[in-house]
Amino acid sequence: MWEGKALRFLLVAILWLCVLGPVRAIAAQQALSDDAAACLSCHGEHGIAFTFENKKTMEAHVDAAAFRTSAHAALGCSGCHPEFTKDDHPQRSFRSHEQYSTKAALVCRQCHGDDQLQKSPVHAALLKQEGTAPVCTGCHNPHATTAVTGGNRTASERQYCQGCHTQDLKMKMRNGDVVSLRVDHAKLDASVHSRHSCSECHFGFSADEHPKRAFRSARDFSIAHAESCRRCHFDKYTKTLESIHYTMLNQGNLKAPVCTDCHGSHGVAQARLDRLTSARRCQHCHEEIYATYVKSVHGNALVNEHNADVPICVDCHTAHTIEDARTADYREKVPSICGRCHANESLMQKYGLYPGVVNSYLQDFHGVTLKFYRLEKERRGEAPQQAIATCVDCHGVHDITKTSGPYTNLVKDRLVKQCEQCHPGATKNFPDAWLSHYKPSLKHAPLVFLVNLAYRIFIPFMLIGLLLQILLHVWRYAVNK
Amino acid sequence: MNKESQEYIRRFGVGRIAEHHVNAIVFALLVITGLSQRFHEYGPSQWLILTLGGIDVVRLIHRISGLTFTLLMAVHIVSASAGVILKKWPASMIIAVKDFHDAIDNMKYYFGIAKHPARCDRYDYKQKFEYWGVIAGGAIMAMTGLILWYPTTAVRLLPGEFIPAAKALHSNEGLLAFLVIITWHIYNAVFSPEVFPLDTAIFTGKISRERMVHEHPVELARLEGKSLDEIVGNGHGKPAPQTRPSTPG
Repeated sequence: MWEGKALRFLLVAILWLCVLGPVRAIAAQQALSDDAAACLSCHGEHGIAFTFENKKTMEAHVDAAAFRTSAHAALGCSGCHPEFTKDDHPQRSFRSHEQYSTKAALVCRQCHGDDQLQKSPVHAALLKQEGTAPVCTGCHNPHATTAVTGGNRTASERQYCQGCHTQDLKMKMRNGDVVSLRVDHAKLDASVHSRHSCSECHFGFSADEHPKRAFRSARDFSIAHAESCRRCHFDKYTKTLESIHYTMLNQGNLKAPVCTDCHGSHGVAQARLDRLTSARRCQHCHEEIYATYVKSVHGNALVNEHNADVPICVDCHTAHTIEDARTADYREKVPSICGRCHANESLMQKYGLYPGVVNSYLQDFHGVTLKFYRLEKERRGEAPQQAIATCVDCHGVHDITKTSGPYTNLVKDRLVKQCEQCHPGATKNFPDAWLSHYKPSLKHAPLVFLVNLAYRIFIPFMLIGLLLQILLHVWRYAVNK
Repeated sequence: MNKESQEYIRRFGVGRIAEHHVNAIVFALLVITGLSQRFHEYGPSQWLILTLGGIDVVRLIHRISGLTFTLLMAVHIVSASAGVILKKWPASMIIAVKDFHDAIDNMKYYFGIAKHPARCDRYDYKQKFEYWGVIAGGAIMAMTGLILWYPTTAVRLLPGEFIPAAKALHSNEGLLAFLVIITWHIYNAVFSPEVFPLDTAIFTGKISRERMVHEHPVELARLEGKSLDEIVGNGHGKPAPQTRPSTPG
């Protein structure tokens, strides 16, 4: 019985081996790229010799079978011999085999950096010898190296990608644009994404997959790549869907910025880290506005004093939901935007500014109208289209100046013109109708102050008097009855 | 006193009645649309403004009502002045020294010092106070209202600061007018025990002789060609009741 079982087991095992053996052998052999296959059609054969200047020769032969199973098969030939491709076979000359080996072995170090070599005592010792150490290819046959990392051909996916993308790779777009595919790894290491693998952003690419992609232009290429960001930053992505930038992009304006235009790609940094850099990102496209802003009281403090309290572009326009600032909806938000700082008591105290400015606006004719237009819109979905003066109409938008000192007249001069937009025929003294945020007092607007004071006394006086008369009347009636 | 003995005297003509109607409606509209703007931060004001169709509609109603009020007042002043000057109407609304004496006499009566209330003519001092309050307040409101309606025109003649001052004046005077009407006028015309539940004189144009005896004896004496004592009963050895024994039928 026992023999029968053992025999059956043996038969099945042999059968499996017959099937699996060849499969494993095939699996281990990398499918070579067209380029590599082309190279091997000559270099796979014996008989090609290279003659050095010292008349010694070297056989330019690669054992194709060994290369297919080697750790470097995936790199193809151009991965290490970048100057050679299927179409390009430059003539080169070297003094000796040693000189050639020294130069050729430099390419090994592009992937196998000091960090990796230090981990092995043998290599660490050789690194210290510098010039006198044997070159890599003196010990390792580069065309037949086997993987040492437990079957992984490279230590990490990133290392795999680096094999090519640290080199000056270029991609030609259909319209002739050329895009560099070289990745600055120092930049990547310094970025907030340093711990991510390449394929987390470059979806569809890995050590096993490298699909061929074609783009119409370099801009199309960038826009397509920015789509990757939303896989992690979906909240920000949905915000941008409402933005004017996205709308412009949707309407076919490819100049409208996508994620990477503001945040960078491989060097992506935390956007809030440096406010000046943040403002400068907008400058890239909005140059004129930036120039105006830099001269304003806010921009000047940012650039020249590195003041972190002043608003930068994104504080008013937001970073992702950037709205069209020319709409009535945006205008309606202006007082609350300015109020974020100018109604903040502790912040205003720091600069000796009056925190009641926003409220004094909101209590006045324009502020009340604006508020009711907003409420009407909330209630009925539409509000009157009449534009109502807000902070920016007197103070400016990007060119906001101080209102004190020499700027007072500058602001005042602008006022009449601004008033005229809605109040045709406004005279020079018309802006005085606005109390410039001052609380009425004997010094500022004494007339208003006195009127209010008189009624504050007169109304209670009158009312108490009348109520007393009424009480007396009722009392007399009750007594007489 | 029974109902049959109630004798009525015509007090107001159709013109005065209509004037009061229009004034009451316009005043109510002005108060509703004005105070809701003054107290714009409160929920009920916002509800009212939005329900009426928004701030622009409310301002329009306020301005049309204000204009109506101004016209009504102008017509009144012109016609009253003409009536008085041409001696068609007695100058019964003119404030006289007697009114101050009446006010003091009434105070004495309230405190129990005098035996009877002041003997008043066609309009007593309370009514004159209200009338001139409406005229003076109305003039202030109309003037400041016009300034606020046409600020650019106003500053051609006035300094810019007059605009916010006009607003302060308009807003405060409006509030005062509302408070006086809601307390004094409504008390005297509705809640006062002498007229409760409503003084109908301005609606029917008629007033009972009995009320005339108490409230306007001087006028009644003139109308009936009697002496004041005959009217108030002193001449008959029996003092007339000082207040109305019950609400009118």
